[in-house]
Amino acid sequence: MIVKSKKSGFVKRLKSMLYVDFRRMFTIPFFYIMVGIAFVVPILILVMTTMMDGSVSVNPQTGVETEIQGFDNVWQILGAVSNASGGEAAMQMDLVSMCNINMMYFAVAVFVCIFTTSDFTSGYAKNLFTVRAKKTDYVISKTLVGFVASAVIFTAFLLGALLGGGVAKLPFAMSGFVLGNVVSCMLAKIFLSTVFVAVGVLASVIAKQKTWLSVLLSLGIGMLFFTMIPMVTPLDSTFVNVVLCLVGGAAFAVGLGAVSNVVLNKTSLV
Amino acid sequence: MNAIEIKNLTKNFGEKQALKGLEMTVPVGSIYGFIGENGSGKSTTEKIICGLIRPSGGAVKLFGKDYTDADVREKIGVLIEAPGCFPNYSVWNNLMLQAANLGIENAEEEVRKVLQTVRMEGAAGNKFKNCSLGMKQRIGIAMALLGKPALLVLDEPINGLDADGMRIMRETLTGLANQGCTVLVSSHILGELEKIATHYGIVRGGKMIKEMTAEELETSCRTYVALQTKDMARTKMLLGCKYSRVEEDERGYLRVYDNTKPETIVAFLYENGILVNEIKTDKIGLEEYYIDLMREKEGTVR
Repeated sequence: MIVKSKKSGFVKRLKSMLYVDFRRMFTIPFFYIMVGIAFVVPILILVMTTMMDGSVSVNPQTGVETEIQGFDNVWQILGAVSNASGGEAAMQMDLVSMCNINMMYFAVAVFVCIFTTSDFTSGYAKNLFTVRAKKTDYVISKTLVGFVASAVIFTAFLLGALLGGGVAKLPFAMSGFVLGNVVSCMLAKIFLSTVFVAVGVLASVIAKQKTWLSVLLSLGIGMLFFTMIPMVTPLDSTFVNVVLCLVGGAAFAVGLGAVSNVVLNKTSLV
Repeated sequence: MNAIEIKNLTKNFGEKQALKGLEMTVPVGSIYGFIGENGSGKSTTEKIICGLIRPSGGAVKLFGKDYTDADVREKIGVLIEAPGCFPNYSVWNNLMLQAANLGIENAEEEVRKVLQTVRMEGAAGNKFKNCSLGMKQRIGIAMALLGKPALLVLDEPINGLDADGMRIMRETLTGLANQGCTVLVSSHILGELEKIATHYGIVRGGKMIKEMTAEELETSCRTYVALQTKDMARTKMLLGCKYSRVEEDERGYLRVYDNTKPETIVAFLYENGILVNEIKTDKIGLEEYYIDLMREKEGTVR
């Protein structure tokens, strides 16, 4: 048998890799579980915090009374406005401001880690890397799939927030921002998730069969980026925020993707 | 042209040297039986050929090109250790994913064909995790066959197969070799390997200690005369004085390896007052040849 050189172009290779990854993603129950969690979590948060709103807890040792404050506005679960004059939607560092959409970044990282390491735990990586010498395709494909997954997860969270807000009878009034800002905020958040996706892919190719290690690594590294999220994706985000997150996300994806590529090329794949 | 050409291959895992300058030549269209003890370096060599681990030194060429060449790599089918399948996917879906991964255009037809080749058409809808070990091995072969590979690298493919499964595997591999596909197959079941291999490579301690064709093995596997008498101890003593190599085998026969005829031995024993109950000529197989070779090498090392 003569081996003919049949050059597979980058686009063709990436297309087939993306087809496999998307097909896998949309057929695994885990993806739908994550989307379901993203949809249910805001409903639970909004309904429960509204029910507890105004209740007072007393510290039995100090006798200090703390009033539990729920959300004043549905949009608060997506973030806060960047300036203090934003009134009720202004940025605060309390429990309410932490229980918001930004938690989903960790959900995205966990999803990417489990999705990517399953290639190694199932042994699929052996089939894949035997016939595919170019590891770049793999990294790009995993990053793009993770990005789409994060877009779906964030959208599910938004829909859940709208439904939860309706159930909890919270106001949908926009103070200090308009609908366009909310759209920009969501786009900025989705673009920024690429950073967490790239971190997840890198952690997975380092950890390979050890899913727990990849999750730990990505959560650990993700924590470093977590604090910047409210600052770059406020509720009153504009086109500038979207561009900033798009460029930043892309830069991180390229940089961390290059590192992932080096890791795959320099280490054993089984 | 050779399908695989390996020169002075080394691989270190920390301080442990798994491969110590391994040399290997696998001709195109051959079924190359890759034999060695556990930990001798077979799997490491196969993983390097498949690009799954990086060698510490040496050169690996596939069809005359470096083993990292993307075009050549697309022509390799592999089954190393266990098939790389997603446990919750059906056999069909696992194969379809690999077909998509390889960019096969008429994927459904190709998948159907490889399932037929390994006689697994009936199990296409089964979840991979529910398949038996033998079925999984055959699915692994089917997966390796996708994309019509020019080189198949199979690590212990007949492990866990029943007699029928082994026969199917034999027929499949022989058929592929007849179509020009090169098969590198490692196995501990030497009796099975002997039935299909056209070339052999015996590896020990990370080094190739013997490479030969099936014809060369045939010549190397000496004929012997096996016999039984009533007084085996005296027979052994007498024959030991006349012939250079006389051994008792596990079935209670005395084997005389010198190139001699049975009637000469019968006459010699008769002259010494021993009647032969049973005598026959036989040939040692690959397994015995391998064990002999290992013993020889062990002796050399000592």
